[in-house]
Amino acid sequence: MHPIDLAVVIVYVGLITFVGIRFSQRVKTAKDFFLASRSLAWWVIGLSIIGTNVDTNGYIGASGNAYSIGIAQANFEWIGAIPAMIIAALIFIPLYWRAGVYSIAEYLGLRYSQAVRVMAASIVVVMSMFAMGVAMWALAITLQTFIGWPIWLGILVSGTVVGLYSVAGGLGAVAITDSIQVCIMFVCGLVIIAIGVSDAGGAGSFVSKLTAENPTHLSAYLPADHETYPWHGVILGLGLVLSPAYWVGGQAILQRTLGARTQWDASAGMMFAALAKTFVPVLIVFPGLLAIVMMANIEYPDMALPWVIKNVLPVGLSGLMFVAIIAALQSSIDSSINSTALMITRDIRHVLMKNHNPESDLKIGRLLTLGLLLSAMSIAPYVGNLGGIFNFLQLLLSLFQGPMLALLLLGALTKRATATGGIITLVSGVTLAGILTFVVKLNLLYVAFISFCYAVPALWIISGFTQPHSDEHLKTLTYSPWDER
Amino acid sequence: MELPVIWANYISIALFLALSFGVWSIPKSAVVPEKYDGQSWRDLRVWATGLIVFQIVLYAYFT
Repeated sequence: MHPIDLAVVIVYVGLITFVGIRFSQRVKTAKDFFLASRSLAWWVIGLSIIGTNVDTNGYIGASGNAYSIGIAQANFEWIGAIPAMIIAALIFIPLYWRAGVYSIAEYLGLRYSQAVRVMAASIVVVMSMFAMGVAMWALAITLQTFIGWPIWLGILVSGTVVGLYSVAGGLGAVAITDSIQVCIMFVCGLVIIAIGVSDAGGAGSFVSKLTAENPTHLSAYLPADHETYPWHGVILGLGLVLSPAYWVGGQAILQRTLGARTQWDASAGMMFAALAKTFVPVLIVFPGLLAIVMMANIEYPDMALPWVIKNVLPVGLSGLMFVAIIAALQSSIDSSINSTALMITRDIRHVLMKNHNPESDLKIGRLLTLGLLLSAMSIAPYVGNLGGIFNFLQLLLSLFQGPMLALLLLGALTKRATATGGIITLVSGVTLAGILTFVVKLNLLYVAFISFCYAVPALWIISGFTQPHSDEHLKTLTYSPWDER
Repeated sequence: MELPVIWANYISIALFLALSFGVWSIPKSAVVPEKYDGQSWRDLRVWATGLIVFQIVLYAYFT
């Protein structure tokens, strides 16, 4: 690495650590730690959401996918995000905010039962622990590729930096550092576009070079018989089920909205994130397309982004781009650690340990944050061997998405859904999704859609035969602005 | 019979139009707190409409 690039990296690490530690002085209670004292402004929330959302797969994997399938990869940022983000901003965030909850699992606990709360929290906690290990490993691999550090050193240094601000400063530090990281990511993305289009001889020349041998690379959708991303599956599975499940039920994403200074800031933060999300393909899709236009000689698609950084960007900017990748990974790890610590502290400990002391939430939250970070650092070197387990866990998580979305939708929009209906629908819906995945061997996009289509009427019908909560109890837990006119 | 891929773009645009109707069916009082009355930039339905129009343009362009 060139000394100027190295200087850029050192300045970045120093800046992030300084900002994070300064924030730690404001943390006095568990509410300060997990919800930033409910003080976050809309623009911080929006940038932090994007920082949390763009992770390893988002940066390096998506560039590789764009190299293979073209602009269709952007569906994950457009129809696979924007509608769900608008619905989250206008309906679900005001609801969670008014309910005064710390987590989505807590909302499910109030709306359905404590069993649903613990189940929802446990699934996310187990999955997050592996995901953090994978992210830490990817960070170490990036450091090894660009600086030549051994894996153990990369894990130790990046873990220490993330730990310094997330253990000390909690959500406030995480959100502020995320915001800085996202700004760096966008500056780098814009520079790559400017240099790439200029080197290609202008926008017209860029497009003609791109489509000369890849005529479908500027088509938003792929044919119905495409093995991985058939257009029916993208619209039905991704657009209508998986994306809403992620954006209205994802704890790591929504936690910063629960830390907003007002309900309006919470909703506006998600809306601002949607605006930024529209432009995320600039960061993660364009480098893949640029590698094609510049006829990159790469062995496999995931090498597209590293090739662009090495061959397109000048000294100093390549250091900044390297920082952007580190930033993307760090912002996902820190958010995941903070939200996982929250769910263990409140959604699992508070329910299962009847004699818990709420006063010790801050101490336990900090210890858990440290423990989760250390466990992610311990798992990281072995991720190569655990890849099969991780993929399996990811598959299991996807089985919950359709039924869980049905619970959230009917729970938020109607008073009909009951606690018994919720549990039966969740268990039977996940079983159906499991059969469709492992026995019928259906594409996951279709599994999500079918299990959702089953869960909605199932919850509706079963709830008709079981005892509902009182109207008084449901007053702040269901969305009904039309009644208030 | 298989629909041509271009129908995916048409369906996406139709879904975004349907979403905009849903957005404007939400009463203003649920979106803008009373203390912000008169500050039209704080109406999140307008923000949502801007996003939806942008998405429609993208799906109309990348066919």
